[in-house]
Amino acid sequence: MILDNMKTRVVGVGISLAKTTCAIVDLGGNIIASTSFTTTDYPIISDYVSVLCENILNMVEANGGYESIRSVGISAPSGNFQSGSIVNSPNMPWKGIVPLAAMLRDQLGIAVALANNAHVMALAEHTFGAAHGMRDFIVVSMGGGVGSSIFSKGQLHLGVDGFAGEFGHSCIVDGGRICGCGNKGCLEAYCSWKGIITTAQEIMAESDKPSLMRDDPKLEADRIVDYCKLGDELAQETYRRTGEIFGIGLANYASIVDPEAIIFTGLAAYAGKWLIEPAYKSFNEHVFHNIKEKVKFIPSHMDSHQRHILGASVLAWEVKEYSLFK
Amino acid sequence: MSSTMKSKVIGIDIGYIVTTIALVDIRGTILALDSFMTANYPQINSFVEQICERVVLLAEANGGFDTVRSVGVTAASANYKTGSIENAVNMPWKGEIPLALMLRDRLGLAVAVGNDAHGTALGEFSFGSAHGMENFVVISLGHGGVGSCFFSNGHPHLGCHGFAGEVGHTCVIKDGRQCTCGRKGCLEEYTSERGIIQTAREIMEESDEPSLMRSLPELTSMAIGSCCDQNDKMAWEVFRRTGYILGIGLANYASITNPEAIILTGEQTQVYKWLGPSMEESFEQHVFHNMRGKVKLVVSTLDNRERDVLGASALAWTVKEYSLFL
Repeated sequence: MILDNMKTRVVGVGISLAKTTCAIVDLGGNIIASTSFTTTDYPIISDYVSVLCENILNMVEANGGYESIRSVGISAPSGNFQSGSIVNSPNMPWKGIVPLAAMLRDQLGIAVALANNAHVMALAEHTFGAAHGMRDFIVVSMGGGVGSSIFSKGQLHLGVDGFAGEFGHSCIVDGGRICGCGNKGCLEAYCSWKGIITTAQEIMAESDKPSLMRDDPKLEADRIVDYCKLGDELAQETYRRTGEIFGIGLANYASIVDPEAIIFTGLAAYAGKWLIEPAYKSFNEHVFHNIKEKVKFIPSHMDSHQRHILGASVLAWEVKEYSLFK
Repeated sequence: MSSTMKSKVIGIDIGYIVTTIALVDIRGTILALDSFMTANYPQINSFVEQICERVVLLAEANGGFDTVRSVGVTAASANYKTGSIENAVNMPWKGEIPLALMLRDRLGLAVAVGNDAHGTALGEFSFGSAHGMENFVVISLGHGGVGSCFFSNGHPHLGCHGFAGEVGHTCVIKDGRQCTCGRKGCLEEYTSERGIIQTAREIMEESDEPSLMRSLPELTSMAIGSCCDQNDKMAWEVFRRTGYILGIGLANYASITNPEAIILTGEQTQVYKWLGPSMEESFEQHVFHNMRGKVKLVVSTLDNRERDVLGASALAWTVKEYSLFL
C-alpha cells in the first residue's frame, strides 16, 4: 500500500483533578487549538467520557476535521499504559479500575493511549525539554504526591505492570512520619505539598523566631517559596530540611538507576534553588561514590500546562493507528 | 570466503574470595573449570598474569587457544562501559583498574568486563528463574556486599555511567551504621556477613537474657541460624531485624522498577530460611500498594558459582570478536 497522506496531527488530553484539557498537536509540537473543562463537574465516569468526546469532536471539526487526527493520547493521575486505565486513584472522583482508553476509543472510533502523568512528563521532557538527547534519566514531579519516571536506553521504563517510578512511597525514615498510605516514613510524607507544610509547622513550633509564615492564615507550599525569596529564615529552613530528605531519596534512586540527569517539575521546579541546592548537597553525600558529582540536577523550564499536553501528544504517537471507519 | 564460527568463550568470575575461570560452549555447557584464591594476588599485575596463564592452559588442554572467541569477566564495582573495576570497596586493588584492556593486551582476544550482578542477571535470564522475563531484578546478596542488576524491556539497565544497580549503598537507616564506603546507614552494612554479626552483638548487649549465641565458638550467620533451629529467641531477633531492613530496601527497589520478580542470589541466600519470612513481610508492608502481592520473591535455584561463571560467559558474546593474531 502506498501512503501519500500521513496524518500529522494527534489529540493530547491532560487530566488533572482541577481541569481536563484537550489540544490538537501537530508533528512539530505546535498546539493548533485547545479547549478545557472542569473534571470534577462529572463525577460519573460515563458522563465524563461523553463530555470529553464531545469536546474533542467539536474542537477537531472546527480545526481541520475528524479525518485529520491520527490518534489520542491521555495523561492521567494513577494512569496505567498497559491496561489503558486509571487504577485505584486516591484523588480522582472515579474509583477502582476505570478503562478510560477503551471507553474513549469506543466513542471516538480512533486509537487511544493512556498513561500516568509522571510517565507522560518524561516523554515531554525527552522530546521537547531538558532531556532531549538523553538515554538514561529520571523525571521527578513534586506536588500532591511525589511521582517519577525512568528512561532506560532511550525508552520509557514502565515495568511489568506499568507502575514503575512510584518512589513517593519509598521508606526514607524508618518509623518516621505517618503517610496517607498507612506506612511511616514515606518520602511523600516529607516532600509533598502537605509534607512541606507539616515541616514548616514543626519548625515554627521549635522556636519563637519571627516569620512571615506565622501570619499566613492559609499557608501553602508555594507561598513558603515566596517567603524564602523575601529572606524569611524559617521558610528557608523548611526547604532546607525538605531538601535534605529529598536528597537521600534521590540518592537511593540514582544509585540504582544511574541517570545522566534528574529533571524536576512541579513544586520542585518552582522552589528552585531553595530546595534543589540542599537536595543536591544531601544527594552527593548519600549517592554511590562512583557517580558522585556526575548526575545533573535540572529544574524543568517547560510550562507545566504545555508539558502535560505535549507529553500526551507524544504518547498518542505510541499507539498503532486504528479507525472504526476503515 | 567461508569461515567457521568460534563456538567457545571464556567466562571469569572474580569473587571476593575465589576467582573462577571456565571454558563454556555456545550452549552454556561448562567444558572445563579452574579457580584460585583472589586474595593470594594483592598486586593487580600478578593477578592479571595469573588469570592469563590459567586461561591459556585451560584453553590449550581443551581444544586449543584458537577455538576461543572472546572473554567475559564479572567483578564487583566493574563497569561494562569503561571495562574497568572502579574504586572497589572490598577488593584488594584500589582506584581505577582498566581490567578489560589489560587482559585484552595479554590474551589478544576481545574482553568484556561487567559488574558481577550484571553477569548474575544475564545468567538468570539465560539459564535460570528469569528466563522469559522482560522486567526483573536480580539481587546479589554477597558475603561482603549487596549488588543488583535490573532488566528493563528485555535489556540489562546499565545506566548512564555504567554503575546502575548499586543498591548495597542505598541509605536505609538515616544516620545509621558506618559503612566501609564512608557513608552511614547503607543496606549492606546490615545484610552482609559482618552486618548480621554486628546485629547479633548489638542484640546480645541490649539485654542479659540467655542465648545459645553467647556460647558460640565463632559468630557466623549460619551458626546463628542453627541457634534459630533450636528455637533461640535472640537468634530469631537477629534475622527478624535484618529481614525487616532488607525488606524495606527491596520494596523501595520494586516500587521504582516494578519488576515481575526479584531473584535473590549469592552466598547470603544460605540463610534465607531464617531471613525470608520477616523479609517478605516487610517487603509487602512497604511496597507500592498496586504491586502488593504481585512481585514474585524467588531464591535462585542455580548453583552460585556455576551461574556466575555462565553469566560472565554470556557477557563474552556481547563484544565484537577481536584477535591480535589474525
